[in-house]
Amino acid sequence: MKPLHLFSIFVLVAIAQLFIPSQMILGQKKILSDGTPYKFITQPIDPSDPFKGKYIRLDFEISSLATNDSTWNRQEDVFVVIENDDYGFARVKEVTRQKPEGKDFLEAKVSWYNAYDKELNLSFPFDEFYMNENKAYDAEMAHRDAQRDSIKNNTYALVFIKDGEAVLDNVFINEIPIADFVE
Amino acid sequence: MNSKFMNELPELVKHNVISQQTASKIEDYYQAKEQNSPNRLFTVFGVLGSLLVGLGIILILAHNWDDFSRFTKSILAFVPLVLGQLIVGYIIFKNRSTTWKESSGTFLFFAVGSSIALISQIYNIPGDISSFLLTWILLCVPLVYLLKSNTLAMLHIAFATYYACNYGYGYLNMGKTPWLYLVLLALVLPHYLQLLKERPKSNITSIFNWILPLSFIITLGSFVNGFDEIGFVMYMSLFGLFYNIGKTPFFSDGKLRRNGYLIFGSLGTVFLFLWASFKWFWEENYHPLKLTQELMISLFLIVLTTVILVYSYSKRWVKGFNLIQSAYLIFAVMFFLNSGNHIVPTVLVNLVILALGLVTVKIGTDKFHFGILNYGLLIITALVVCRFFDTDMSYVVRGLLFVSVGIGFFVTNYIMLQKKKKLINQNQKL
Repeated sequence: MKPLHLFSIFVLVAIAQLFIPSQMILGQKKILSDGTPYKFITQPIDPSDPFKGKYIRLDFEISSLATNDSTWNRQEDVFVVIENDDYGFARVKEVTRQKPEGKDFLEAKVSWYNAYDKELNLSFPFDEFYMNENKAYDAEMAHRDAQRDSIKNNTYALVFIKDGEAVLDNVFINEIPIADFVE
Repeated sequence: MNSKFMNELPELVKHNVISQQTASKIEDYYQAKEQNSPNRLFTVFGVLGSLLVGLGIILILAHNWDDFSRFTKSILAFVPLVLGQLIVGYIIFKNRSTTWKESSGTFLFFAVGSSIALISQIYNIPGDISSFLLTWILLCVPLVYLLKSNTLAMLHIAFATYYACNYGYGYLNMGKTPWLYLVLLALVLPHYLQLLKERPKSNITSIFNWILPLSFIITLGSFVNGFDEIGFVMYMSLFGLFYNIGKTPFFSDGKLRRNGYLIFGSLGTVFLFLWASFKWFWEENYHPLKLTQELMISLFLIVLTTVILVYSYSKRWVKGFNLIQSAYLIFAVMFFLNSGNHIVPTVLVNLVILALGLVTVKIGTDKFHFGILNYGLLIITALVVCRFFDTDMSYVVRGLLFVSVGIGFFVTNYIMLQKKKKLINQNQKL
């Protein structure tokens, strides 16, 4: 094959290589600008990813809920209808297998159903918050210290939700962004 | 490359072994040959450099520079990608040397991965590693063919293996089978077949002869979903397949070190047979046969291996009965017929291993190959060591067994050495 033909095919490959990350950015930006913000009370833990760097894994309070329905299967895809409670934090209104209409909802996975405690554990698709490698562990410690200061958990994740998709914007401790809080 | 030989030339001329004219011709021949072939060392260092720079960029950006805004970080994530694309584009357009193609391709490969990883980092997109790896690999496959790059083909196989392991292994991935891994390998197969056709004896082809079977060995376990025991038959059939592929004249006529199929096939078969030589193996791995995914894969591998074996016989590539080539069938029959009575299969497996060892020793002595001879003796030693742990034989009997195997090592090697010396002396006299 001539170099010019090879080059033409390469241009198509290069466009695809640029398209995928660009598409990822645009998708996230749209949810951040048009979505509804919710505050998810959470607890951060500090692991790391070989390619993406250090992140804090978020363990959400509302990811486990009491229910007598024991028909849930591991790794099953579900829709979680979200609403605000009296304190302005997100709470689960309903977990369903049918796509809800006219309500804010998330697409989540069933982690497991605890038959003994009659508790359904869910896995939300926004449980990783990437941080500067020097701050991730400090963030976990800061959350632990902040817990001692008050009775109610004061660490929350700000999540934008639109048509079932969610983008994690930031994590706050006492209303201060976690990256600034640990400095 | 031939510097040693070149250094000998003046001495050969001095002692009138060759004429000055012949020496000059030899020199010219090797100089011309060297100029035509690409500088391999330069290619290796170029690729290593690109690999380290690419990985370094991933690590530097993974630090997460939170002083920059999201927009700045997004732009930074695209910089290595665009840079790599411009270099690769230029090299394809100008049709530069292999060294440039391999190095720039390697850099672009890591740039693609780093840009996707960083966008995920900047926008906190979780996603599992397997889907990330899949996107990364698929976006880089065309580069293997556009740049005719062996390094990219090897990276492709390595990352496809990583993908299959990440997708299929682990408690959370129960019930998931990485079928796409097979598609990924199929995508790089034309490149490998072209290498086998055009450069069957080159070092790079030998590397592929090792990494491809190794990749299959690593990933086959991820195709097992819960029905664990049949995994042994799957692996035994795979080793049988590799051994039989390695025994075809295309591979077996070359050097042994280039034949990864044969070595993996042989070692794997012996290892699994040793594993199955314990009585607990047959007590634990007994269950009624069910039509599962694992059984289907096992049957597919058995049929494929048998087709190659029958074809080898029909082409007279194999003469007589070779136990190790049919060992997978013996194992499969014993496994499927196992009724929970461990005595018969345990005794049979031990006899098969002993026979494998003796046959290998015989092949070694027939071929005057010390490596094969000692491999056969090692198989017998391994069998004796295994029986050391699980039989109620007295220490004296076990001790005598060890002593006799040890003496066997000395005697067989000594006899063969004497035979070889005798043969060399006879040839010299002739």
